[in-house]
Amino acid sequence: MKTVTIRYFAVLRERRGLAVEQKTTSCETVRELVDTLIAEHRLGLPSALIRVAIDHEFVDPADPLQEGSELVLIPPVAGG
Amino acid sequence: MKFSLSDAQIAAEPIAHDAAGGFVVFEGKVRNHAEGRSVVGLEYEAFPEMALSQGEALVQEAIERFGLLEARVIHRVGQLAIGDTAVVVQTASAHRREAFEACEWIMDQLKCRVPIWKRETYASGVSEWVVPGEASSSLVDDEMFARQMRLPEIGPEGQASLAGARVLLVGVGGLAAGSLPSLVGSGIGTLGLVDADLVELSNLHRQTLFASSDVGRLKVERAAVFARRLRPQLAVHAFPVRLSEANAEQLISGYDWIVDGTDSLSTKLLLDRVCQSLGRPLVSASVHQFEGQLMTVRPGGSCLADLFPEPPPDHCVGTCAQSGVLGVVPSLMGVLQANEVIKGILGLPVLDDKLLLFDFRTLEATMIRRTVSGERSSGGSVWDVDAVSINLENFDLVDIREPDETPEINQPHRRVPIAKCYEAEWERPTLFVCASGRRSYRLVADLRARGVRDVFSLQGGVEYLERD
Repeated sequence: MKTVTIRYFAVLRERRGLAVEQKTTSCETVRELVDTLIAEHRLGLPSALIRVAIDHEFVDPADPLQEGSELVLIPPVAGG
Repeated sequence: MKFSLSDAQIAAEPIAHDAAGGFVVFEGKVRNHAEGRSVVGLEYEAFPEMALSQGEALVQEAIERFGLLEARVIHRVGQLAIGDTAVVVQTASAHRREAFEACEWIMDQLKCRVPIWKRETYASGVSEWVVPGEASSSLVDDEMFARQMRLPEIGPEGQASLAGARVLLVGVGGLAAGSLPSLVGSGIGTLGLVDADLVELSNLHRQTLFASSDVGRLKVERAAVFARRLRPQLAVHAFPVRLSEANAEQLISGYDWIVDGTDSLSTKLLLDRVCQSLGRPLVSASVHQFEGQLMTVRPGGSCLADLFPEPPPDHCVGTCAQSGVLGVVPSLMGVLQANEVIKGILGLPVLDDKLLLFDFRTLEATMIRRTVSGERSSGGSVWDVDAVSINLENFDLVDIREPDETPEINQPHRRVPIAKCYEAEWERPTLFVCASGRRSYRLVADLRARGVRDVFSLQGGVEYLERD
């Protein structure tokens, strides 16, 4: 099990109802965790459209999840 | 009726008034050149209801202002050739002076107050809507920009670069409320404005270019007037159109920097693609509730499509109308867009390798490094299908609308409330249908994240099911 911090932006934050949370998970990869979050919280976007950044860099969804990481979840934003 | 529009040839009509001693007739005709360019034709387009009521009010004001006995204006609309009469102004007064003065005043006012747009077609084949200008000012640019030219990064040379710059704002709404005044104030030479919308009351809390009296008028026209008021020497070109595949290249190719002020992901990606192919830098921003995103895209550099190659329908990520937005968010993001353009023109570093996320609740700025994507992802919406490209017989059809929603679907289907869909097992290929395609999109995204594979969403919703 690993514990990570998740920060939500824009519509993901709106649907999740909070900005930051900590989660202890058995997920192995970034994509697995994102899929779990989408399914648990009905985020309503496919994981391929949610970009994830760790330490100010976008990461590959196939990357292994590291203990203590802070994941920033960024959806497309349309408003103007 | 003192003001009229005509799509056929026009000429002065006789006015008779026994008390009038001075009758003036002015005819404006189409000439074969404009600002050094050779003109081959011209088109006038009016919004008839607005043009007629504002034209009528203008002529009535002239009558009262100059004490006229009679005044009339006829304006042509549609296609005109060189030599055709575009406008006829007729005035009658007791003495000649008032008639002459009123005639000229009406022409001046007509150009900036009545929403009639002129599109010139040049010998080069290009055509352009021309914004009628206000009287040119005697302001000296040097004095206007004195504080800015003190900056060692700018000076007279940088100011000259700004004066030579042509900037196109696509979308004249909340973001433009920040970017337009900053860009015009910086001294750019030419501003293009693209937006087909009219000002609505629900825009005004964030689109502060507009006044409440502008409701119902064209955004590009009011924004052009705002810009000219700030700096009369500015050249403004207004295009009251929606950016599309058909017009994007023509609009963008005439400008050096493109500013994305749109509120649609598909339009943002169109801008991104066309700017890349024409080699134009693009400054893109988006807003959501209390948040803003900003990035600059250099030709050949990391672009919007590297981040979000295939966007979902706009309503699935929340628009201003749907999710709401704090008024200052687009304004400030727009100011930051202007900052990018100004720095870019001056050769200073811009945000071309990062994405800025700004949270207006905490004032926290998060910067994420962007790179050019080696493989453009296949996107996430291959399961968001349109009715034409699939064989409906291969799917179980499931209607997830509320029980009272119509119209009924005329094909074999089941109706399952959306909450139940999350619990049910979906073993056969299933196509979910709702009213617009938004609820079904979100449902299928969620189900697929749970590992359900054979579920699909119908784009556009129930209406598209019946179209063949």
